[in-house]
Amino acid sequence: MSDGHVVRPAGPVIPPAPPAGEPRRILAMGGGGFTMPDHDQSDALDRFVLALTGKTVPRVCFLPTASGDPREQVTRFHERFGDWPCEPSVLSLFHLGRDRIDPVAHILSQDALYIGGGSMRNMLAIWREHGIDEAMRTGWERGIVLAGLSAGAMCWFEGGVSMSGGAPEVVHGIGLLSGSLSVHLDGESERLPVYEQAVAKGALPPGYAADDGAAVVFYGTNLAECVASRTDARVMRVAADGVGGTIEAPEPVRLLPGAVDGGRSGIDEPSHEPYGVSEMRALRAGRHRWD
Amino acid sequence: MEWGNTLLDDFVLGLSGVKRPKVCFLPTASGDADHYVVRFYRAFPASACEPSHISLFRRETGVGDPRSHLLSQDLIYVGGGSLVSLLGTWRAHGIDDALREAWEAGVILCGGSAGALCWFSHTLSGFHEGPAREVDGLGLLPWSCAVHYHEEHGRREGFLEAVGERMPAGYGAGDSAALHFVGTDLAEVVSSRPGARASFVAPGPRGGSVEHELPVRYLGTPAIQVVPEPEAVAA
Repeated sequence: MSDGHVVRPAGPVIPPAPPAGEPRRILAMGGGGFTMPDHDQSDALDRFVLALTGKTVPRVCFLPTASGDPREQVTRFHERFGDWPCEPSVLSLFHLGRDRIDPVAHILSQDALYIGGGSMRNMLAIWREHGIDEAMRTGWERGIVLAGLSAGAMCWFEGGVSMSGGAPEVVHGIGLLSGSLSVHLDGESERLPVYEQAVAKGALPPGYAADDGAAVVFYGTNLAECVASRTDARVMRVAADGVGGTIEAPEPVRLLPGAVDGGRSGIDEPSHEPYGVSEMRALRAGRHRWD
Repeated sequence: MEWGNTLLDDFVLGLSGVKRPKVCFLPTASGDADHYVVRFYRAFPASACEPSHISLFRRETGVGDPRSHLLSQDLIYVGGGSLVSLLGTWRAHGIDDALREAWEAGVILCGGSAGALCWFSHTLSGFHEGPAREVDGLGLLPWSCAVHYHEEHGRREGFLEAVGERMPAGYGAGDSAALHFVGTDLAEVVSSRPGARASFVAPGPRGGSVEHELPVRYLGTPAIQVVPEPEAVAA
């Protein structure tokens, strides 16, 4: 996008072919994409979601459940996907009475589902109440691409480390994929020690820790590849070493077309978001006092 | 938190018997919508009470221990929205148990729409696709309940049918009418608008249901001139 140095021009994104007869695919991002413009100045991961469907004009539905369906994320979704060759829609579980959408039927009619970040604990609790967790499994088995970041990435695994309870803690996911995932490896330093300790002690199975802008791609239940929208975005494999610690090794990462140069991406520069957004964020986070 | 009408807010603040009651807002059913939180702080200013809110979607930024915060309040105000999402989120954080504890300790619980239905054992909730659906609430009050009783098409008919067939006896509350319970018994029905209505509905002796219109006490002349809601103005 505007701030980053584009390493390669944006173009068609061709993911490697899945094994024959394997419809199931999941894209789990450590962070980034359209909901995190401050941390991902490329649209490469969002383009990749559409490319994974293999459809010319895929139907893509955004679920912002984990953040309570805020308007800001819905607007950003339409800004990003509105002009692309796709049929974008938003499923708000807080506004089913207004939108009059049957959530399960809508989910199962999509080519890709894009799950936003936020409180993983809340998201999974709300999904269970609406029968969405079962719909996700059915959709996955039918070949609907399941994509998401943060809570929307960890949920597919057996578990991850979430801030849902205030402090970082182990939270269990739906478990479509065995193993675990920790997110925002570069963005939120307090998560990794909790993740390492959980894996070391066996509270979580081995898995991956991903930077903002990095993602793991699964075909079926196997890791197909790691991709990134930024040159320095990492994925680390984390496993218990058997003596109370962890063994960690970087996974090879394929840079997506349109990825930006992390060294010059300016993620520490002041953001250029329109006036009022930071204010709304602070307000949303409960940091404002009105009295 | 009705637009331009503080009668019900003043009434619940008065129930606490405290000069400057501690009031905590739970906007969970709206997904902790910013505009709703702002509206709460406008409706419950620091001049009248000690307001606070708990965001269950941003636990890392709010009070550390929601349970002890809720137990320290005089009044807990639950906002409207999706009842199903509200109950699921509460259970995930143990808020359901904390609210029961607070209620038993004498904290006043109140709320509108989903924030009213949640206290009952059986409810008819319309906040999802399709016709209104039966949803089990927290069950502090062993009654059934329906809201927007006269205002939303089919709600009263659906409630009469549900009580006739399977739900226990309970209450249908129209907009601007508030059911005031002491313990698990109805003390009275108050309203912020003349003409607001509420009913008690019980299974009939030979099947079906019987509806009794309840007396409603209008709380007086609004302190502020009533301005129409920005959306539709109900007749």
